[in-house]
Amino acid sequence: MTTSTNVHKKIKDLHPNEAIAPGTGLCAGCGGLEGLRLGLKELGDDFLICNAAGCFTLLSVYPFTPLKGSWLYTTMGGSVPAAQGVRDALDIRMRYRGLEKKEDLNVIVVAGDGSSNDIGFGATSAAIHRGLDFIYFCYDNEAYGNTGFQLSAASPYGSATQTTPSTDVHEAGTEINKKNLFEIWKAQKPAYLATVSPREPIDLSNKFARAKELKGPRMFICMSPCPTGWGFEPKEMQEIAKLAVDTGIFPVKEYFEGEVVHTVRPRKRLPAEKFLERQKRFHHLFEPHRQDEVIGQIQKRVDDYWRQYE
Amino acid sequence: MWRIRMHGRGGQGIKTASQILGSAGFYSGFQAQDFPLYGAERRGAPVIAFTRISKDAILERGPISSPDIILIGDETLLNDPQSAPLCGAEPTTIIFVNSNHRPKELSQKFEVITANLTDLCLQRLNGRTIYSSALSAVGARLLGTIELEDLLQAVEDELPGVSSQMLKGNLDLAREVFEMVQPVAIPQRVEKALTAKPLVFPQHLPVVDGAPIILDPGNMALRKTGNWRVERPEIDYDHCNKCLICYARCPDGVISLAPDGRPEIDYDHCKGCLICAQECPGHFIKTVRETGIFP
Repeated sequence: MTTSTNVHKKIKDLHPNEAIAPGTGLCAGCGGLEGLRLGLKELGDDFLICNAAGCFTLLSVYPFTPLKGSWLYTTMGGSVPAAQGVRDALDIRMRYRGLEKKEDLNVIVVAGDGSSNDIGFGATSAAIHRGLDFIYFCYDNEAYGNTGFQLSAASPYGSATQTTPSTDVHEAGTEINKKNLFEIWKAQKPAYLATVSPREPIDLSNKFARAKELKGPRMFICMSPCPTGWGFEPKEMQEIAKLAVDTGIFPVKEYFEGEVVHTVRPRKRLPAEKFLERQKRFHHLFEPHRQDEVIGQIQKRVDDYWRQYE
Repeated sequence: MWRIRMHGRGGQGIKTASQILGSAGFYSGFQAQDFPLYGAERRGAPVIAFTRISKDAILERGPISSPDIILIGDETLLNDPQSAPLCGAEPTTIIFVNSNHRPKELSQKFEVITANLTDLCLQRLNGRTIYSSALSAVGARLLGTIELEDLLQAVEDELPGVSSQMLKGNLDLAREVFEMVQPVAIPQRVEKALTAKPLVFPQHLPVVDGAPIILDPGNMALRKTGNWRVERPEIDYDHCNKCLICYARCPDGVISLAPDGRPEIDYDHCKGCLICAQECPGHFIKTVRETGIFP
């Protein structure tokens, strides 16, 4: 990333605007909410969020909304088609009906990992294909959190979810690997694609500041530590987010004009165990007996990933 | 039949408490039914759970509106209009509140039994406030018909996947609470015969009325989430160097900046996640246990 485009250098540079009012029913210590809060700080209040069903359904509970901008609630698969409709309506009104340019809105899709990886996946791929001018914010807490933490295509290997608990037959819990949404989206060459972590507010803000200036599909995947589903105390949310980056499990990177750049690189990667042992969903890997093979597999995947870039 | 209703907050193990009590009742030879009721909200938001225990088959279904026993795990809920834990209570209803206060301070209208479960939980459960075993032990003991060994068996069954150390803490806790509480006499009620309700036919409304539209941006702030807190973060302004880490890290954005650049916590909305206290580089944010009843 070229440093000249980084408008933010320190915490004090964060935009003072709070686009999300407090009082939402989201869990205390929600990592996804922190990511969205920091992102919207940068985007300003002129937005329309198409919200896929998921945890962030709780952003707005009738008759209350925490947002200063607009919010349209959709089904899990319907958020991106809704964004297409809204974008088209705005464009047509600006072209033929005299809607002023300053009335234009940033169309944002907010969707969870379940919606992004499974149910809304096809429509998103189609929208990137058509070059829809929108911002996509995926809060990835690695399972269907709102319904009680069931397996999604983003649940990592070795984690326990409600539908893939560790049992005598399936000791590892989840036995398949997490879908690589970044690479899948990248293959379609969107205008901008980045992963962000709530623990890296400056990096996150810079990425949103950059995306704001671009046109076309701009995609974000936000690592969203989930105290309720992952099983840690709410106060540890930022530490868990930091460990995800420091162990190399969650690479913070961006894709722009054909190039992938890691914007936050762990200097010396911590063992993946440090991240795993803090969460109840990986508890079965350590007790009653240590599952060295599973832990080794997880570590190997991380090492294999970073070897490509070293 | 005994109808028990439990109140608490998401994450405090209220649902599990109703399950433990139900299983314990079952092991003691009764029929049992247990289930929770919560809205879309999560950890910290009010939760209600129900247990029915009976010698005969339980034909009743659905939430319990007039309970024999009400167990309140979190005293800050007492005045909460959304939770309304005393709703449907009658003078004969046994009401238990987890509190350090004297019963008279909590309710003028009802006789209340209190015990301080929070401190016991903090002690036994490695600094956590999860009331599942403690509250179910209170329920089991108040009923007086459930054996201790059945309760302990239920605790073990309903807490699968917890570490052996945590399980031991929970078992010790259940035993301690069981021995601390005294059984009460629960007056027998005359059961009313069940009657059928008339069918209701839904009305079709125009889309404008049917689709909820909110026209007041940011009005979520009218909802106070401050009563979710178990502990309150307090900034030590003598040492705070205005680095604003707390402001940047607060997921709910309830830390704002005063004109002089000091961070200020909005206690009406702070959910008490305590990320600010955890992340403050100089550890200048201390945490204080919330007690008393939230206004």
